[in-house]
Amino acid sequence: MSAVASTSHEGFAEFRKKVTGGGVYAFDICVDRMLHGKLLRSPHAHARIRSIDLRAALQIPGVVSIITGEDLRDLPDPYYGVGLRDQPVIAMDRVRYAGDVVAAVTAVDEQTAFRATQAIMVDYEPLPALMSVAAALAPGAPLIFEEPTRGGSPVLGAGSGFRIDPAPNVLYEYSFAYGDADHWLGAADQVFTDTFDISRINHYHLEPYVNVAWWSGSRVEMWSCNQDPFVLRADISRIFGMPVNDVRIHTPLIGGGFGGKSYCKMEPLLALMARKAGAPVRLALSMDESLLTLVKHPASLTLTTGLDAHGRLLARRARIDLDGGAYCDASTLVAIKTGFRIGGPYAWKAIDSCARVIRTTTVPSGSFRGFGGTQASWASERQMDMIARRRGEYPLALRRRNLLKVGQPFAPNDSGMDCDLAAGLDQLVAQMPPAARKSGRGMGFAIGIKDAGGTGNHAQAQVRLNQRGDVMVSAAAVDIGQGGPAAMCAIATQALGRPFGSATYAAVDTEHTPPDNGTHVSCATTITGLAVEAAALDARAQLLAFGAARLGCAAADLELEGWSLRHGAELHPLEPMIRSYYGGVGWEFAGRGSFKEPYNPATPMGARNVSWMPCWSGAEVEVDGETGQVAVLRLVVGADAGRALDLGACHGQIEGAAAQAFAQAMFEELRYQGESPANATPLTYRVPRAADMPAAFSSFVAEHGLGAGPGGLKGIGEAGMVGIAAAIANAIEDACGASLTRIPFTPERVLEALDAQSSNICAASK
Amino acid sequence: MTIPVSLVINGKTQAFDVGAHHVVADVLRERFGLTGCKVGCDQGVCGACTVLVDGAPVTGCATFMFAVDGREVTTIEGLGLDGALSPVQQAFLAAGAFQCGFCTAGMILSVTALLLRDRDPDEATIRQWLAGNICRCTGYNAIVEAVRRAARQVAEAS
Repeated sequence: MSAVASTSHEGFAEFRKKVTGGGVYAFDICVDRMLHGKLLRSPHAHARIRSIDLRAALQIPGVVSIITGEDLRDLPDPYYGVGLRDQPVIAMDRVRYAGDVVAAVTAVDEQTAFRATQAIMVDYEPLPALMSVAAALAPGAPLIFEEPTRGGSPVLGAGSGFRIDPAPNVLYEYSFAYGDADHWLGAADQVFTDTFDISRINHYHLEPYVNVAWWSGSRVEMWSCNQDPFVLRADISRIFGMPVNDVRIHTPLIGGGFGGKSYCKMEPLLALMARKAGAPVRLALSMDESLLTLVKHPASLTLTTGLDAHGRLLARRARIDLDGGAYCDASTLVAIKTGFRIGGPYAWKAIDSCARVIRTTTVPSGSFRGFGGTQASWASERQMDMIARRRGEYPLALRRRNLLKVGQPFAPNDSGMDCDLAAGLDQLVAQMPPAARKSGRGMGFAIGIKDAGGTGNHAQAQVRLNQRGDVMVSAAAVDIGQGGPAAMCAIATQALGRPFGSATYAAVDTEHTPPDNGTHVSCATTITGLAVEAAALDARAQLLAFGAARLGCAAADLELEGWSLRHGAELHPLEPMIRSYYGGVGWEFAGRGSFKEPYNPATPMGARNVSWMPCWSGAEVEVDGETGQVAVLRLVVGADAGRALDLGACHGQIEGAAAQAFAQAMFEELRYQGESPANATPLTYRVPRAADMPAAFSSFVAEHGLGAGPGGLKGIGEAGMVGIAAAIANAIEDACGASLTRIPFTPERVLEALDAQSSNICAASK
Repeated sequence: MTIPVSLVINGKTQAFDVGAHHVVADVLRERFGLTGCKVGCDQGVCGACTVLVDGAPVTGCATFMFAVDGREVTTIEGLGLDGALSPVQQAFLAAGAFQCGFCTAGMILSVTALLLRDRDPDEATIRQWLAGNICRCTGYNAIVEAVRRAARQVAEAS
């Protein structure tokens, strides 16, 4: 069977819409009497709001209403965040970063709303800004929050621990340990301690944050670009104190997200704007505002790693500081995943890791493709090379000696490794032709890894099969560019034995769609896919039972062959059989399916990880020793799809993630200058363009067939993000000896590292 | 202040009045329902709103409507004939040269303009030409492949 041909892009109607301009995004939604919103944002990193004078703004013709913190008073729970809820729907008495939303204007059009924001007078009392982790942790630093944090930690299990508000300006601390790290580090033949830093980047999704909301009576309806419709529904329900069934979310196509559109952001504020205005309101942020909404966590990671005399890894201690920015967002999860994943794809006697989230007066950090895995893999895979070089061995030899084997658990009681890490490494190396040894050229490798599929995740699905054999798949996996709906249709039609082209993916609408936990953490093909497969098999069973009743035989005696039932030598076409029995417009066999990964307190995450997502990464670079310029000549990145439903889509996911990781490694960064971002505009925040990519940039899709999803598949959406930076830094060291421990690899840092190297050599020769 | 304009949009002559501050993307989307023209950055940087004016790509968000008076504007909806895809659209579909699709219309129009100028562009030319169109999803390989496919298809058809 050619899975590729049968699920090709040409065969899927939604894909065709994307090349004809016919695809509908939240950006395109327009409803009658629709008003428009604009937000006023704080220019200060940290200030108390003394007063807000709306009089002049409200007098502008066309202004309908304005929301400020005063309007939150009658909301039962006006805060959001994952686990811990500290972000108010709009600033109440205080702003905590330059960009914090202070007022929200609703007017007849965007121009008027914008003018009104400029007419609002806010009297601020500036407070000391805490622009770095060091400043936030300094003794006597002012508190960014004076009250204890609301909410609780996400689910955790054996070996994991947490503390909420453990120290001033520290939001959350996650600890993870197994084995006796003190003992094994003490017993180690060699112990190395190194510190690594990673920078702040933004998602830069091209479709801005955009939502349209309106109320009818006590119910609110929203067209949203959010990638987690049921999470959003639950948040709005909680914040407004209304039943979930009074909140209806429609999710059309999403114009990119990469984590930026997960969990709740400005949607509750929009619901409040629409309620106060008494009319539908569209709130489309500008890209400048997207840059001020969420970033990936900058972090500093100190790893202490011990090995025995044979070069076997024994124990690792990790101390990780994540800059969480002003509000929690998904920081709890990011701390958990960074701390948990710090061991990388290797076997250990002991791990002792602690990841803290420190609050600073900067843009909130949160979910970004591969979160935790990016930070942990960067530090871990960079240190692996540094250790190998110090030991005088080939870095790949050190890796191969210590890799987890197929089936070996990543951590005690967790699921086993569901791919062959060594085979993937061989496949990578085979695609990296040895370069002519040339001064300034070098090669580097890394194996990033993260778990995928979420913790204790669940999904439900419905598959409807009509009298013609047409298939309607209904599930909450949204199309954010990954081709989720096409994958769901492929899974359903494979289970039913129907052609791919016979399937349609139903619009996602919380009023009709069976729920899931959100399209994130690379879970859709696995978790929602299992629910869809079960629903398809249920529909198939109903069809066979119907046929058995009509033919007076057992369902087990029937085979589905094309759109007919085979009963021994007889072939019975289904459409006439169904029509003759039901008449009318026909009939649908509606199958239901679900999947739930059970909670299991014996596992570190509180449930077994559903799948594992390695990122085999290789880079070849050329470094100019005079200028410090690094040219990435070749970049190869591979991931394991278990079983590929659409090879092209898999390559696209891997390469797209790798492009983001490449840019973060080389140049992309949201920089601060004083209390405000220096480059939070579309022009000055530089993302890669076509000509910026390495001259040779390719990917490979491993199909090790061991995934937990239908037919051994598993998600790969985040894989490409987690190994690239370390591979490039490892290649730079191979090329010229410059040992980089900070991202991005600017020429200044390369020259600095070269200077440090030559002074080390001078010192050693004295 | 309103300004009368007369121009051809996707092959059809249109005469109407516009405000001096109205930009092409907003008029196409709001007046003509041509929502295939997406606005990403709204600052002429990302290229999602690219449309063709007399065959040359311009950013619809940063071009005043009065500036295209008397010209011929082509949007993604104007490519292809009678429901058939243009060679570039077909190549993007076949190569899977899109993910979220928000940049795709602009990308396809840019490539259409490139192939009008250079029927056999090499990879460096393709990548340089696409400097005005950001794709945050794909990493660009599939897009470059689609351009090659489209070039082959155009060459075979002529």
